[in-house]
Amino acid sequence: MLARLRKPWPDVRAERMLGAVSCLLAVLVVGMVVFVAIHAWPTFSHNGLGWLGSGETPETSFEKMQATSVNPPPSAYHLRAWPLLYGTLLTTVVSVACAFVVSLFASIFIVELAPERLRRLTIPVIRLLASVPSVVYGLLGVLVLVPFVGNHLVTASEKASVANTIELTGAGLLVTVVILTVMIAPIMIALTCEALASVPSSWREGAIALGLNPLRAILAVTVRAARPAIVAAAVLASARALGEAIMISMVSGGRAFKPNLDHGLLIFLYSPLRTFASTIVDFREGISAPALGSSLYAIALLMLLGGFVLSVCGYLIKLPLRKYQVRG
Amino acid sequence: MQRLRRISVALAVAGVLGVAAPAAANAVTTVTISGATASYPLVNLLAQKYVKLHPGKVKFKIAQGGAQVGINDVAAGRVTIGDVSRDPLLSDPAGLVFYPIAKYGICVITNKSDALANLTSSQLVNIFTGKTRSWSGIPGASASGTIDVVSRTSVAGVLTNFQTLLLEGKKVFSAASEQSSEGLMRQAVENDPNAIGFVSNYQSDKGSVHAVNISGVACNRSTVTSGTYPGVARFYEVTKGKATGAASAFIGWIRASSAARKIISTQWVPVT
Amino acid sequence: MSTLVPFEFDEPRVMQTGRGRRSSPMTWRWRDRFALVLAWSAGIVLVLVAGAIVAYFAFRGVQYLRPSLIFSRPQISASQAGSGGFLDPLLGTMVLTAVGIVLALPLAVASAVWMSEYGRPRWLARVIESCIEIVAGTPDIVIALFGLAVFQLSFMGPFSFKASGGGIYGRSFLAAGAMMSLIALPPIFAATRDGLQAVPGHMREAAFALGKTRITTIRRVLLPSVRSNMATGVTLGISRIIGDTAIVVLLLGESLRLESQGAVPGLGLLRGTGSTLTSYVFGNSPAGEGAAPQKAYAAAFVLLVFVLGLNLLVERIGRHQERATGLSVATGAV
Repeated sequence: MLARLRKPWPDVRAERMLGAVSCLLAVLVVGMVVFVAIHAWPTFSHNGLGWLGSGETPETSFEKMQATSVNPPPSAYHLRAWPLLYGTLLTTVVSVACAFVVSLFASIFIVELAPERLRRLTIPVIRLLASVPSVVYGLLGVLVLVPFVGNHLVTASEKASVANTIELTGAGLLVTVVILTVMIAPIMIALTCEALASVPSSWREGAIALGLNPLRAILAVTVRAARPAIVAAAVLASARALGEAIMISMVSGGRAFKPNLDHGLLIFLYSPLRTFASTIVDFREGISAPALGSSLYAIALLMLLGGFVLSVCGYLIKLPLRKYQVRG
Repeated sequence: MQRLRRISVALAVAGVLGVAAPAAANAVTTVTISGATASYPLVNLLAQKYVKLHPGKVKFKIAQGGAQVGINDVAAGRVTIGDVSRDPLLSDPAGLVFYPIAKYGICVITNKSDALANLTSSQLVNIFTGKTRSWSGIPGASASGTIDVVSRTSVAGVLTNFQTLLLEGKKVFSAASEQSSEGLMRQAVENDPNAIGFVSNYQSDKGSVHAVNISGVACNRSTVTSGTYPGVARFYEVTKGKATGAASAFIGWIRASSAARKIISTQWVPVT
Repeated sequence: MSTLVPFEFDEPRVMQTGRGRRSSPMTWRWRDRFALVLAWSAGIVLVLVAGAIVAYFAFRGVQYLRPSLIFSRPQISASQAGSGGFLDPLLGTMVLTAVGIVLALPLAVASAVWMSEYGRPRWLARVIESCIEIVAGTPDIVIALFGLAVFQLSFMGPFSFKASGGGIYGRSFLAAGAMMSLIALPPIFAATRDGLQAVPGHMREAAFALGKTRITTIRRVLLPSVRSNMATGVTLGISRIIGDTAIVVLLLGESLRLESQGAVPGLGLLRGTGSTLTSYVFGNSPAGEGAAPQKAYAAAFVLLVFVLGLNLLVERIGRHQERATGLSVATGAV
């Protein structure tokens, strides 16, 4: 029998085997979505659309859930996750916006303005920033940035003014957004550089010939032509920002609070918050309580759907690129 | 060549089975424990000593999560023993048996720079329920500014006991920051000059934080042993039904042996 | 999928040529001068930030890392700050990486071979490609939850540990390794598939002309020629596994030491729990239990050294491949 396995296989069998192995992957992915959805169903069925509304703080709901262990009554599933959704959207949107600006100008620098030696230096730099593990970023945040903000930037009067609602320890929106920007910028820079580099330089030279100065020509022609690819890069980066769990759990203050511009810009920046991903990390020990476990799986399902929607958007945005034969 | 290969495969399989069979015959029992973060260091030390005294017989898997998580896990059969740092409540699932193993004192702690000597009971209640928000309202405090109240998440048994014993049953107010373990509580108070919190094993934290007297009584081992300190509570080991087998041997050893007593006495008080 | 490949230019960009008239920024409008300053500062800040991160961790690492930390086992004590090293987490990282790669490599290579050499029916190929993109884009925390859901099923007892009350623990090196293989799969798949597609058609045709079947061509001709691509993919996969924390924290049981489960030596280790460098850093930081930032810094430094070393390895392999075959390696950084 072993001898038969060792002889070269007929092509048809080989193709079927390899195809079966590949299908296994598809089955795994479908299985992932199905498993998560099955575990998430109870909390959605008990809360309905109100799951995304506001009401009781999520932490209070989670702690009530942990108190009911086996066979929890329907009331145990109560959850109003709007503060978590708000925190997720806030961090993602703000950090992608900051990273977009930084990445665009950094890419223009790398592709068009940098002297050759400096440009050769930036490739390893970007690779380095992209490959630093998120727990190392989180460690930097929690041991350096959070004490810095908490002890040197937050003033006593600011602390006192919100003392009845939250505590400003330095861990909050500001540090989260700063580190998240540094984490997602390399992805955006790499994609944007590639997009800018693939715009034919004759287009830009034509603009210069017509009298534009070089930087204006870059902005008006190259960047404009690569716009879909740049937007697709932003979409990919926001999928990364959405899924970041460990770093945010370490620096965001761990409190499902909705940062409010009414308190003033500074306090808005210092406010603690919680995102979907950091909630899963923070409450992972209680996952054995059915109600809490179902809520965490529901959060995971939403993250899966969000990531999927972003991928589809990115794909749709890149479709027009083929028209201009600009590599994306 | 073929035969050699087949023989070697057969030998390897036989070898693995041969190793596994007698090993399975005197298999090591694994006792799983989960629960309170406050008693985690104590149970870890006890388990280590127990394994040293009875080598090769039993293994321990100890997890944390909070006293409530321990109760849930024991009730659902996910672990053999639950570490619980609070007294049994009416809402606990039926059929659980609580074995007390040690006494501890809940000490109120402040940052080392704020060597607050004493707090009366009413001052304590006012601080933790949010009525007094500034250190200027507390005579004897060298800190100034807002009081940063550090509390525990509600699955913590120490929090339940703290509220019952020292806050006259009132609840800690909602703006207090909630830490999910004793270690995090201690860190929070250690790093913030304006912080105040509560821990169960002050002995190990002596260097890093300052313990406040409550109503004139200091929080140390002698006052906890004698019972003069108001915030004295118990660590329990909880099983579903009466403890049997390895779990029962372990709990029995904790409650009876002198080696266990010595370990408990390092930072806590044995239950006499 | 994103790529971090150095981009190639056909002609030198205009602003680099020293000859010819170049418009001086002094003649531009304020808006354009401002944009120029922004672009330069963005570039400089980028390099400075990366340099600062490396320098800071190197400084802290040299300050806190002692050889005894690498070679001694963690001690269980009331406070982590005094005692023990991180030998077990280091071993845990290696074991987990090995399990992840061993599970991912055959799966990824088989799928890549099927996609690029066979790939019929077309709709199936598109579906599988989309599935791999979905896996590549899924956050690691969601993959970890999926792993927990699967490995806590009642028949998954042999893969971890069955408690006396009947509950399946669900956390072990096998569980975490299985999910890590999902993390490592997209880089290996992408690199292998790109390598296979870059092999010129005449190599296949020559093999067919000699009478070889397709599968033999793949085995004897194509796969050996994409060895560097596979190596690049595997290295990228390893660096992703080493850097991942969420899966470890949820699926490895977070016990400081390697606790093996059951009597059989190797299988016991795989069924048991442990920790890795990443979960050790997480646990010793102010977000976890250990309250030992010195250990966290030391472990983070070791982690960074690993990751940077792997980066250098990827570049080395890429350059070697280019010299050997004249084909450049597209390093997928998905």
